[in-house]
Amino acid sequence: MSDANSSGDSSELEALFDSIAGGVVNSPAPPVVEKRPSLIRQAQESDDLTEDSRDLQELFDSIVAKNKVSAGTSGAGEESEGEWPTQKKVFTQVGQMARQLHDTLGALGYDKLIEKTVSALPDAKDRLAYIANLTEQAACKVLNATDVATPLQEELEAGAALLATKWDALYANNMGIDDFKLLAGETRAFLKNAVPQRTAATKEQLLEIMMAQDFQDLTGQVIKKVVALAQDLETQLMSILIDTIPGEKRTESVTSLLNGPVINAGGRSDVVVSQQQVDDLLDSLGF
Amino acid sequence: MADPKMRILVVDDFSTMRRIVRNLLKELGFANVDEAEDGAIALQKLQAGGFEFVVTDWNMPNMDGLQLLQAIRSTPSLAQLPVLMITAEAKKENIIAAAQAGASGYIVKPFTAATLAEKLQKIFDKMGV
Repeated sequence: MSDANSSGDSSELEALFDSIAGGVVNSPAPPVVEKRPSLIRQAQESDDLTEDSRDLQELFDSIVAKNKVSAGTSGAGEESEGEWPTQKKVFTQVGQMARQLHDTLGALGYDKLIEKTVSALPDAKDRLAYIANLTEQAACKVLNATDVATPLQEELEAGAALLATKWDALYANNMGIDDFKLLAGETRAFLKNAVPQRTAATKEQLLEIMMAQDFQDLTGQVIKKVVALAQDLETQLMSILIDTIPGEKRTESVTSLLNGPVINAGGRSDVVVSQQQVDDLLDSLGF
Repeated sequence: MADPKMRILVVDDFSTMRRIVRNLLKELGFANVDEAEDGAIALQKLQAGGFEFVVTDWNMPNMDGLQLLQAIRSTPSLAQLPVLMITAEAKKENIIAAAQAGASGYIVKPFTAATLAEKLQKIFDKMGV
């Protein structure tokens, strides 16, 4: 989309880095240090820096200044100190880059975004944990209810089957009068007690299953909030990425075999959406 | 239908899914079911012997379903064990990878009791039991 923009940005950034790195390595007279207060002022003007970040910046400044001084004083002894000056250069450079990143993010307003992200993510994490918790509870309630109800249904089935065979025997004239009286009594007891008790107990479990669905309302609300947060973060992070990633990197996609459920299969040809398609694919491959 | 006493191992990191598969298998007449919560535990149980069928998820911690399948196929004593995958992974390359690794069947979640019954029957038919 904005390749030209971004490459412009990144070449500017590169030039900035180069000038800073150049300043550190070559000249003790720092154009960077002069530049910095103005950046800070910019950030202060635009962002209303907090006490904390002002303290942080003072700390940065003091460290950078100290590094400058020591770099300046040790410059003469480079040969005798062997590798140390090189390492010091690297440290200084890393420090400069961290500082630069801090300032750049501040100047672009990304520090606020990152702050917001950092505070929003634990919240989203808690919300998602809440959803996982409620859905798991619901699944357990439903499975428990079926565990209770299934044997009740099996008892009804078995009781009815037993009585049916006895009634069949009666209709086949294979039953004496005493047995018939017994059967009549059993049947009456089955209809008056066994059946109503078990249907009532089963109904209770059906109610339990119905009530277990109450998570849908609660999780639905929480999910909507997390989705809104994710969309917000995506938009903002995308804008950073578009600003900073070179064009050719953007088309690289991650391929993995562990993706979880396909959430939106619309317009995708690399996924299946039904068991039938799985079977067809396997058939077509000869499996 | 296959021997109802057949010992089946159900592998999934979610206990609710293990319970659902266990209940469905019971409904189909297979009550001799054991569970494992990831591929590594499953492999240990399988190596101890006695299992005749494996139903496994794909995405699990420690050892995933594909790794489990590959480990089964490369262990001589387990190589012939039928392995049915029940997974949410629905990319074509997943299905192909599973088939190439020697999966006996592939079911995508969410699935129905009828699908499970059908795939089991298909595998039993191929096994000639």
